Amino acid sequence: MSQRVRWSTALQNLKTMLIPGKYGLERWSYTLQRVSGVVVSLYFIAHVLETGSFVGGVTVWAIPDYDFAERAYREAVSFLKNPIFDAGLAVIGLLVVFHTINGVRLVLAHFGLVLGSPRRREILETPASFSNRQRALFWLSISLAIFAMLYTLDALMGVFRP
Amino acid sequence: MEAVRFRVHRFRPEDGHRGSFREYQVPKKKGMTVLDGLIYIKENLDPTLSVRYSCRMAICGSCGMRVNGMEVLACNTQIVELEKKVITVEPMKNYPLIKDIVVDMSEFFVKQKNLKTWLIRKDVVEQENPTRQYAQTEEELEKILQFTYCIQCGLCYSACPVVSNLPQFLGPQALMKLYRYLADNRDEGEDRLAAVDKFEGVWRCHFAGSCSTVCPKGVDPALAIQLLRRAALK
Amino acid sequence: MRERNVMLLHYATGLAILLFGGIHIWTLFFTYPFQGTIWETTMRFDSMPYAILPVYRNTLLALSLLGLLVSTTIHAFNGLRIILAELIGKRNIWIERGLFAIGAFLVIYGTRTILIAHMLV
Repeated sequence: MSQRVRWSTALQNLKTMLIPGKYGLERWSYTLQRVSGVVVSLYFIAHVLETGSFVGGVTVWAIPDYDFAERAYREAVSFLKNPIFDAGLAVIGLLVVFHTINGVRLVLAHFGLVLGSPRRREILETPASFSNRQRALFWLSISLAIFAMLYTLDALMGVFRP
Repeated sequence: MEAVRFRVHRFRPEDGHRGSFREYQVPKKKGMTVLDGLIYIKENLDPTLSVRYSCRMAICGSCGMRVNGMEVLACNTQIVELEKKVITVEPMKNYPLIKDIVVDMSEFFVKQKNLKTWLIRKDVVEQENPTRQYAQTEEELEKILQFTYCIQCGLCYSACPVVSNLPQFLGPQALMKLYRYLADNRDEGEDRLAAVDKFEGVWRCHFAGSCSTVCPKGVDPALAIQLLRRAALK
Repeated sequence: MRERNVMLLHYATGLAILLFGGIHIWTLFFTYPFQGTIWETTMRFDSMPYAILPVYRNTLLALSLLGLLVSTTIHAFNGLRIILAELIGKRNIWIERGLFAIGAFLVIYGTRTILIAHMLV
């Protein structure tokens, strides 16, 4: 198998991942889980690098002296004191909570726990894998994610406080 | 008489890589299916159109195609229930195109065959010339009955986003069929789970559910794959 | 490593993130302000020059942070590995090695940050 990456294939595959089409709720869950996972992973990388700068960056590998630590800390704080980062954190809160609850739902589904069982069924009946319990967990993840976003906005920026 | 517009995907392999759409006016009749419309086009308007069909009653699974962006059996889809003035007919995705809306499904069948989706007994002589009945109880039958209704139309394989992205993925139909024999209490096949425990196997199903959405026979491959995954995780 | 064990690891690290991430957020709630915003409280530079948060100066919390770092790295980079394989349509050994290298760097760098911030080295 060749190791060459074909960009046209990658673009086509990206479209398949991002456009759920008319295939229903589970396809939306697939797309959203994927997008939220990638965005949260990028945030996680940025978070590790950013918290590293609080103690002085890559060059520091032992506890520095007080003056250096204070200066590094103040620089990092002044860099982060930016409403764009706060708004970004609210989006991250939304995506993290969605990915978490939806991830629990997917683990349960992968172990066959929240799905129905195989049975005799008519053709137009709802499939057993689209059970109400499983879909309720999806909507729970959506609503908790929106709640988390509003809570984060309130905690960081005081939006809903007089 | 009221007419309906068919936008049909046309492709000739000798013309190059990309197909195009051609439009036809088809008079609407009561109880007319999309397949009836395509047959009308072939008989009266354009004899060069290629369509694959056989039974016209959703039993053979030959006329799978994408109508208005959804995978359906053309013989099982009434024009009235689409409620659209224009009907777009495209070939199924994830298959090599042969002509117009006819696709090459050999890879789909090979993947299923490689998983040995048939009843395997240790005693082959007894299996060929059975001396008694091998009856199942109602509960044992219900575990597999739903999955035996698969007609191998290939619609789930076309709808699956993972097959589209990772062509080596076994696909919903093959995995569902494997679970049908795994759950069968008469089957004695060994290493059924080892065959799907690889990168392109059962683990690449992300429960997007598109296969169960499009299945015209109510088979629910998504459920079968999750149950297969549960068996493989144990 | 068999794909089955990779999948089990993905589930296990996911549930571990639920636990350690909960602790991580919970420590922020200790400082949840009833006036002002969480920003003004958490980012205040008190007499603690090295520890970012006073409540963080606890070895058990440092260990839980370390657990969060390791499990999130495994979970995130395994997820990215699968998504990238499905994006380009096949497995690529160099992409997988590159992801492993970035993940290993993140674990080492983050461990250093945790140790310094908790004044453990």
